Amino acid sequence: MAHGSKTDFENLPGFEQLVDAHQSMVFSLALRMTGDRGLAEEIAQDVFMELDRNLNKLENADHACFWLRRVTMSRSADALRRRKVRGLDLWVEMEDVHAAPASTPAEDRTAPLTARLEQLLATLPEPQRAALILRYQEDLTPDEIAATLQAPVATVKSHLQRGLKLLRAKAESHLKEFVRGS
Amino acid sequence: MNEFEKEKSTMEEFESELREAFARRPAPPSLKRRLQERGLLDNGRRERNRPARPENHWITWQKLAACLALTAVLAGGVEWHIAEQRRKEEAAREQVLTALRITSHALNQMNARLAARRHNGED
Repeated sequence: MAHGSKTDFENLPGFEQLVDAHQSMVFSLALRMTGDRGLAEEIAQDVFMELDRNLNKLENADHACFWLRRVTMSRSADALRRRKVRGLDLWVEMEDVHAAPASTPAEDRTAPLTARLEQLLATLPEPQRAALILRYQEDLTPDEIAATLQAPVATVKSHLQRGLKLLRAKAESHLKEFVRGS
Repeated sequence: MNEFEKEKSTMEEFESELREAFARRPAPPSLKRRLQERGLLDNGRRERNRPARPENHWITWQKLAACLALTAVLAGGVEWHIAEQRRKEEAAREQVLTALRITSHALNQMNARLAARRHNGED
């Protein structure tokens, strides 16, 4: 588990300190899960509002960090699900995509490599994406990821393995930096 | 370097690239502003609303044990008081019965004397 079990209430920072310390983590998790800056900001705001309501249930700083990760991932998954259900939005998104100038990670050579990897990440299935984000953004172990996503460790390991393989395959086929042998 | 080692090294390089690519992004300033607008970042309010310190489990158990001990003492006291009352009632009843037996005995003696005197008089 990512947080201590012993109550350490005196060490729980105040709400503002928690916002300062974790806003970047919460926003980045939501952004990479949804791929949408506006939506990520909304999710981050909702998460912090929920934190405000649940502050008395948190035991210490580690518990608060674990809680924020868990709630952010859950809210992001909910937002993605809602977006999938709303057919109208899907059509609008599709129109937006087709109306925009055609630009694939491979073609957009001016974008930094990190941005292009993020674009490829957005194309992975949601569970694999969630596992990879927690692994490489938050540097969590498979056990910690399993606790955060409330999923079995074996499933998380499988998502990590498959996600990494798929992302690498996509990188090899789309990004010149990753073409095998280059 | 064999194929396996080459693949492992490539994967490690890729993972290192991912760590770099997935570094945390700074949150937009508008996020904190929005929280501020909702009054969530008012320090005074935060301090006032700071949850009360949860009680130590040990203290809670001590309180519970003290409550149980007090209840046991009170129940014992009440029980002792009832038993004492019953003992006193029993003693009083015994005294009354003894007094009645003495009275009865005295009356019997008196009756016997009167009967004897009456019998002597008739003779």
